[in-house]
Amino acid sequence: MIRPDEIKMSAEESGKWGMVIDQDLCTGCQACVAACSMENNVPFVGDAFSPSNGEVDINYGRSLHWIRIERFWEGEYPEVKMTPHQPMMCQQCGEAPCEPVCPAFATVHSEAEQLNLMVYNRCIGTRYCGNNCPYQVRSFNWRDYERPEPLPNQLNPDVTVRRRGVMEKCTFCIQRIHKAQDAAKAEGREVADGEFTTACAQACPANAIVFGRIDNPESLVSQLAHQGHGVKHLEELGTQPHVTYFKGG
Amino acid sequence: MSDNKHKAEHSHEEHLREKHLMLDPLPRGRMNEMVMESMMEPPTWKFWAIIVVLAGIVAYGLVYTWAKVIAEGLYLAGINRPSYWGVFIVNTVFWIGISHAGTFISAILRVFKAEFRRPFTRAAELMTTFGLIQAGMSIFMHIGRVWLGLYWLMPYPNQRMMWPNLHSPLAWDVLAITTYVLGSTMYLFLPLIPDLAMARDRTTGWRKILYKTLALGFRGTEGEWAHLRNAMNIFAFAIIPVMFSVHTIVSWDFAAATRPGWSSTIFGPYFVVGALHSGMGAVIIVLAIIRSTMKHMKYFIRPEHFDAIGKLMLIISMAWAYFFFNDYIVQWYGGDKWTQILLHYHEAGPYGWMWFAMLIVNVAVPWAVLWNQKWRSNPLIVSIVGFLINIGMWFERFIIVPVTLTINRAPFTWQQYEPGAEMPMGIGTMAFFILLYMLSSKLIPLIPVWEVEEGQMAHEFKKFGRETVVSVSELE
Amino acid sequence: MSNKFSRRDFLKLTGVGAATTAVLTGCGPASRYTKREPYMQMPEYTYNGHSTYYATTCRECAAGCGLIVRTSQGRAIKTEGNANNPLNLGKTCARGQATLHGLYNPDRVTDPMKGGSAMTWDEATQVVADALKNNKPGEIAFLMGLAPDHLFDFVSDLASATGINAPVRFNALDMFDAQATLSKAAENLFGQSGMPLFDVAGAQFVLSFGANFLETWLSPVSYTRGFAGLREAKTKMRGKFIQFEARMSATAAKADEWMPAKPGTEALVALAIGKLAAEIKGGSMPRAFSDVEPKDAAEKSGIKLETLEHIAEMFAHSGGALAIPGGAALGQSNGLAVAEAVLALNALADNFGKAGGVYFSAVAPTQSAAMGQRGASAQQMQEFIQNMKDGKYKVLFIHGANPVFELPAAMGFKEAMKGVEQVISFSTFPDETAAEATYVFPDHHGLESWGYQRVFTGAAQSVLSGLQPVVSPFYNTRATVDVLLAAGQIAGGKFAMSFMDEVEFLRGKIAPLMSESDGLFSAPDLNTFMAYFQQHGGWWKTTDGRTAPATADVLSKSLKATEAEFAGEGEFFFVPFVSPTLAEAGANKPWLQELPDPTTTVMWNSWVAINPETAHELGVDNNDVVKVISEFGEVEVSVYKYPAIRPDTIAIPYGQGHTAYGRYAANRGVNPADLLGANFNEAGDLAFAGVKVKVEKTGKKSVISRLESMMGVYGVGMGEEH
Repeated sequence: MIRPDEIKMSAEESGKWGMVIDQDLCTGCQACVAACSMENNVPFVGDAFSPSNGEVDINYGRSLHWIRIERFWEGEYPEVKMTPHQPMMCQQCGEAPCEPVCPAFATVHSEAEQLNLMVYNRCIGTRYCGNNCPYQVRSFNWRDYERPEPLPNQLNPDVTVRRRGVMEKCTFCIQRIHKAQDAAKAEGREVADGEFTTACAQACPANAIVFGRIDNPESLVSQLAHQGHGVKHLEELGTQPHVTYFKGG
Repeated sequence: MSDNKHKAEHSHEEHLREKHLMLDPLPRGRMNEMVMESMMEPPTWKFWAIIVVLAGIVAYGLVYTWAKVIAEGLYLAGINRPSYWGVFIVNTVFWIGISHAGTFISAILRVFKAEFRRPFTRAAELMTTFGLIQAGMSIFMHIGRVWLGLYWLMPYPNQRMMWPNLHSPLAWDVLAITTYVLGSTMYLFLPLIPDLAMARDRTTGWRKILYKTLALGFRGTEGEWAHLRNAMNIFAFAIIPVMFSVHTIVSWDFAAATRPGWSSTIFGPYFVVGALHSGMGAVIIVLAIIRSTMKHMKYFIRPEHFDAIGKLMLIISMAWAYFFFNDYIVQWYGGDKWTQILLHYHEAGPYGWMWFAMLIVNVAVPWAVLWNQKWRSNPLIVSIVGFLINIGMWFERFIIVPVTLTINRAPFTWQQYEPGAEMPMGIGTMAFFILLYMLSSKLIPLIPVWEVEEGQMAHEFKKFGRETVVSVSELE
Repeated sequence: MSNKFSRRDFLKLTGVGAATTAVLTGCGPASRYTKREPYMQMPEYTYNGHSTYYATTCRECAAGCGLIVRTSQGRAIKTEGNANNPLNLGKTCARGQATLHGLYNPDRVTDPMKGGSAMTWDEATQVVADALKNNKPGEIAFLMGLAPDHLFDFVSDLASATGINAPVRFNALDMFDAQATLSKAAENLFGQSGMPLFDVAGAQFVLSFGANFLETWLSPVSYTRGFAGLREAKTKMRGKFIQFEARMSATAAKADEWMPAKPGTEALVALAIGKLAAEIKGGSMPRAFSDVEPKDAAEKSGIKLETLEHIAEMFAHSGGALAIPGGAALGQSNGLAVAEAVLALNALADNFGKAGGVYFSAVAPTQSAAMGQRGASAQQMQEFIQNMKDGKYKVLFIHGANPVFELPAAMGFKEAMKGVEQVISFSTFPDETAAEATYVFPDHHGLESWGYQRVFTGAAQSVLSGLQPVVSPFYNTRATVDVLLAAGQIAGGKFAMSFMDEVEFLRGKIAPLMSESDGLFSAPDLNTFMAYFQQHGGWWKTTDGRTAPATADVLSKSLKATEAEFAGEGEFFFVPFVSPTLAEAGANKPWLQELPDPTTTVMWNSWVAINPETAHELGVDNNDVVKVISEFGEVEVSVYKYPAIRPDTIAIPYGQGHTAYGRYAANRGVNPADLLGANFNEAGDLAFAGVKVKVEKTGKKSVISRLESMMGVYGVGMGEEH
């Protein structure tokens, strides 16, 4: 028998790091996408033609963006409206569907940070995680992407460069989390709210992305997340996502 | 008058004898000879020509294309986001399906003592083993870093306590398929021992050495037979649950996921029946080819066998239709938004023709053809039906894997799937399967002589008054 | 060779040693995938594993946002906004993020070049010196980028000292922003020149006529922050925003209402709203709005009268109404009238110099009135080109501009270059203009450079953004100021400036700021001041430097309710718009190419946006190639059925269609400027939105890559196509 108090309610979920995205502010300017790619050594795919099936990689669901900005249309001209831009990245689910299906434990939950980790070394590329991600925010290295010299000079030494055959995804900039925590630990204190943030949030000119500790009621992100009109995507699947969206408007 | 009657009686017996292998006994020595002749018959140039063509396809499809995919990456294939799984997985499921027929015939029919199975248990069991080889290869073709696949999936004890993730259906798959490969290979080998011993006694040179080694010194003593029968019995019973579990577990790769269209509780039995459906079709094709191309095989494989398998196919087709309908109606009735879109996409999307073709060849064609005993007993007609069923079952898996994956809960990412390097590689596995089969037909006695003889000894005509009846004694 | 064995040489040698070791140990497959060479170009004062952060200024557009660049082992790793810089407050746009792909671009100009062959800097300097010395001052011209930077000051000083032609600044964004029209309209209405600044953040109700202020307009990062302020309901109601334009731009997509007014009727619409609002407010009808008949305006613009009345009502009743003119609305034959009409709406709202209203931008430090804040308008460029054609210039120096690509081909810059004996480009990249130039003497990339840049609009304060090298120059490039200084020494006479190098010139320019009273920092001596300047990434005042326009008689001015005239016989209005991610010079940065366009999600390509109904009538579908023909040229481009564009309008993004500019930019997409002619409005801006075009089927098909799923977003391939 399961006692009612054993059932985790998504509103009360645990977790550590979280994000709030205000779609009313997001202008779809792609600064976050560029920032993420620069920070995380995300390769560009280009529009090279694949002779095997006559498709262009980038037009065939093979882009590697860790964050993408979705938009749809409502109505028809002249009453047509673009739906609010919706940045989608790994939602860092508390109960992530990608984790249990990986046979090699290549994508695992970090107990310390309450994040979904991607262990590139262990990944053998079954792509089951990609199938099972309801948000479709994982991307696969279909090949070794070209970075002509001297572009590799820009690579961030804190982030692994992935080779062909492995999955990758947004990490909530875990390298930044670790750096900030190490710095704070060396000074014998906790990481302060706003002391660091993810690459996307830092770049966003409209401040539409807010990142921080959702388990700290004082933090900006947790106050925003508890404002009440936030939405978590596909929450009904029980994934306990850690990104809250304000639809706005 | 009485002469006439006697004649009629006699012709009835003749008729039965002609029809049924079990009632048409030949001396053991003669049968051994026939099997040996069919195996040892020097290959014709046609045989070698086919071998060369197949080897060429294997070299291009399996060796070259796969090497290229390993060296350059899976972009050569057609998989994408969101169809992360494509024809590789379709082929995996397909080949595992093919492999099911072997076990079904050699184990289940053996356990239930279906007499018609006797001459072709070997031919079917060979399909199991060779099919599993293709299935295993298809899995490895599919993974992004094949050179690390075994390394991370072997449950090898290590100091860091890093084991494969046993939560993952794929890890179950690895265990189930490995068990099945080992079990079915053993199960292929055990009934082969008496025939290997028979071959050993009738060959010279390298063949003699080969069969001598493989026959493990079998002499046919009562003790040896008793042990062999025990072992075969154990394996026959043990392999049946393994067979069911393998395809159930394969279905869990899909059913355990969160995808609309996959998360279906009936996938387990649905997949098992689907596997039998395609497997039976494949067995029929193989039997028809063996019968028409190899010496003396018309004696061993007769229309009665096609008739019997045809009946099985008809029943399995009905079962498949039932499970398909059940799966469809429950998903549709669920009313989930994404599932609704998906089901609509199945029929109306660019691969809609496949969906309709699947229903026609999996259900309509067998139902229309196999009810008729005359058609059912015609090797050509049933093998055409079997071929169509295999096409249909491949379509079914294609619809379940990449077509279903196209539709997910993130419509911004929907992307149609177009196969790429999967096709030459898949055709390569097909060529490899045929190649293995053809070569083994020259190395392995395809008919288990002892099993046929055992059946023939158990059957005899007995006269009760004026009536001639077929009586069967319990041998074992 | 000198007998001094410098630290740099030592590092080079260690680098060779390290590289040899790498060959020995790094043969495994993994070494192929990441390549980081230790020590090779490591400057001093860096520690392995520790990042060093430098403040500098973004040179991707003329806005002048402050950057903090993270470097590690002498390599620039990541750019972030400078949180102290009042212009961008720590934020960047996508182009600022991708600036590193410019720095480490594989297609940079690596050495001074003549034709295809490299030369030494000594030879190059001699060439410049000869060019200065051997020509009359009046035959020497400088064409520069839009940024009001130290190089511009240097050349201006040089010009005033030697009598050579004053430097001309130009950039395509200036042209597509219609900045000349905006400032001219402000001058006409307020009797005062300067760049208007719109306080979007403080407003409650914003009407924008074509101003794409969330994309590339004037200072996009600053205006995006303003937009966020408009929306954020922290201290006030969530502000409302309505955009008038024929094609829904990324800016209009964020508006509450997108009003697809017929191109050319913007002035009528603005004046009609003004009239209706004035009626609601009561009192006598201002003369400014008396020329328009709202019913007539509604008819001509295609916007219902009730809608106009509704907007006017909101405008009249809102506590903080603001109207912004810009972009395509001004780039028409009557652009000046549009700008004046829209600015007049602000007079009605009485928002001048108030929160949520219109200001004049703060005058940047070191700005002298004589310099002029603006770049050259397209018409001024036409005169410049005429001078080139007429052989008035013997030597043309080009820095930071790519006019062969940026100006419409019909204006003939490329042909005019033949009329100039020597064209010397200082381009960092092998762009179209550099390809036509006699010499290319590459300047450093912005992140390798010293300098400063005046912020011409966007911040409340008066801001001077500072540049310093964050990495040592990667190639054999040289700062243009240094080249000119050295060449001046050789040329002698008035050309010999007294500065030792670029940094000394900078220090001289910055020194006067030490005596300013309300600065961010001050210092007793120049060395300390300079150190602070580098540390903070510039210098700015702590006080609000915006000024309120003199508005006394704006409403009593007589404004004409005119419609625009269009060049050409085509059936479609043509809107070329600047790609928000690529802009004029982003195409060579691979990650900018990989960024999906905010409206269409197209990557690595151009498209023509056509209303689905129109496409149906034309018998074309997505990815069908059509020929777009104006009376000035034609381009072939694939169709994107864009649901949010007027059926009588088509649009092509500007930013692709390079013929040179490196492997990622060259021969990709089309340049809509090829369809434009040399038609100008009264303010001298190019009437880029004043062309009508024809569209013809070609029968060809060419797939344009997009991130969005055509199936999921438009239902294509789902079995129920329309």
